Amino acid sequence: MAMLLAQVARGDQLAFEEVYDRMAGPVLGMVRGVIRDLAQSEEVMQEVLLELWRTASRFDASKGSAMAWVMTMAHRRAVDRVRSEQKAADREQRATSAEIDYDDVTEAVEATMDRERVRRCLRSLTDLQRESVTLAYYGSYSYSEVAGLLGVAVGTVKTRMRDGLIRLRDCLGVE
Amino acid sequence: MRGGQADLHALAGAYALDAVPDGDRARFERHLGRCEACAQEIRGLREAIARLGASAAVRPRAELKHQALRAIAQTRQLPPLSGDAAGGLRGWPGRPAGARVLSRLRQRPWLPRVASALAAGFLVIAVAMGVLAVGAQHQVDLDQVHGHAIAAVLNAPDAIMLTARVTTGGTAAVLESRHEHSLVFTASRLRALPADRGYELWLMSPGRARPAGMLPRPRAGMIGPMVVSGLAAGERIGLTVEPAGGSARPTSASLLSIGLGP
Repeated sequence: MAMLLAQVARGDQLAFEEVYDRMAGPVLGMVRGVIRDLAQSEEVMQEVLLELWRTASRFDASKGSAMAWVMTMAHRRAVDRVRSEQKAADREQRATSAEIDYDDVTEAVEATMDRERVRRCLRSLTDLQRESVTLAYYGSYSYSEVAGLLGVAVGTVKTRMRDGLIRLRDCLGVE
Repeated sequence: MRGGQADLHALAGAYALDAVPDGDRARFERHLGRCEACAQEIRGLREAIARLGASAAVRPRAELKHQALRAIAQTRQLPPLSGDAAGGLRGWPGRPAGARVLSRLRQRPWLPRVASALAAGFLVIAVAMGVLAVGAQHQVDLDQVHGHAIAAVLNAPDAIMLTARVTTGGTAAVLESRHEHSLVFTASRLRALPADRGYELWLMSPGRARPAGMLPRPRAGMIGPMVVSGLAAGERIGLTVEPAGGSARPTSASLLSIGLGP
């Protein structure tokens, strides 16, 4: 992927097609988990891939994998979209079902090699860790909002998010 | 302030999840710039989060891809950032990723599919050129000159290969060297044209198109290689169908647009 991005950076359209084929599905799946509305999610996915075309020259492999670069960019855009367009009341409604959402999203979808492993690793987190992570990631809540929703101290949520992600990282064998 | 630092460090998870308000984010990013261990931790957490996000892929509708391909053909790309912008993992800025792609292509055993096929095409062409040059004695001088020009581009330190689809069918590849002010053009599986028409290559910049020669007839489905010299900054390669003798300016929209380096 990193090498494909280097080619994309120089305007190689076939390399872009290949990146698109690999990344559009994962990006769309994640963005839909955040935004929920399919049409809006498609829009954001297209923006992300166009952004990838524009900024491929700025990808730096020493700072992370190409996959993480794209997914980070995509998540930020999805969250920005939710925060700017949806009212607090709307988000309130989605809050309670954030964990179930993950299952919903995975159901409609392509089976990826990683899917079972990620689910298994997610289950290895404590409930509070898992809820903190999924509410922040798919619910676009800030850590203080998550604390409010779960009725725990802000400091506790921060710690659980970090501990949960570290556990997820180690379980997935990310170096 | 030890307490302050520990508190900041606890923010790593929320930061990696995009779950921090702007003020906290700025504070944390300043901290990241000074703390390599923290930057390393964020990298690891982001890889894990990316795996989480990517594990629920949804197959996009096919027409979205066509839309995206149309959009990129009209979208200007940003140049690499010069120098290493300090700190920010957020914007993920850094060194240019573009240089020396071809030389790396040759070294890696796990080549991307498209790129390797085209790179192999170039090698086949280079070999074929040599064979043909030997076979036809009276052509040797001409082909040697041609072969030398190709070799100069192939071996240039900044050689880069770009590929694109031709809108009426087929693909084109350009091996380009800014350093040599030259490029080598090849195409394959272009739509066949009547005898009185031919494909003409152009160097295009806004408001201007310089003719760069008629493409020769295909040999075994492949066209070229053609060497084009005297590239100017910002020019793009264009391709149109013209009368067999060529035109002084393009008579239709380009079937192809490959951006050359800045």
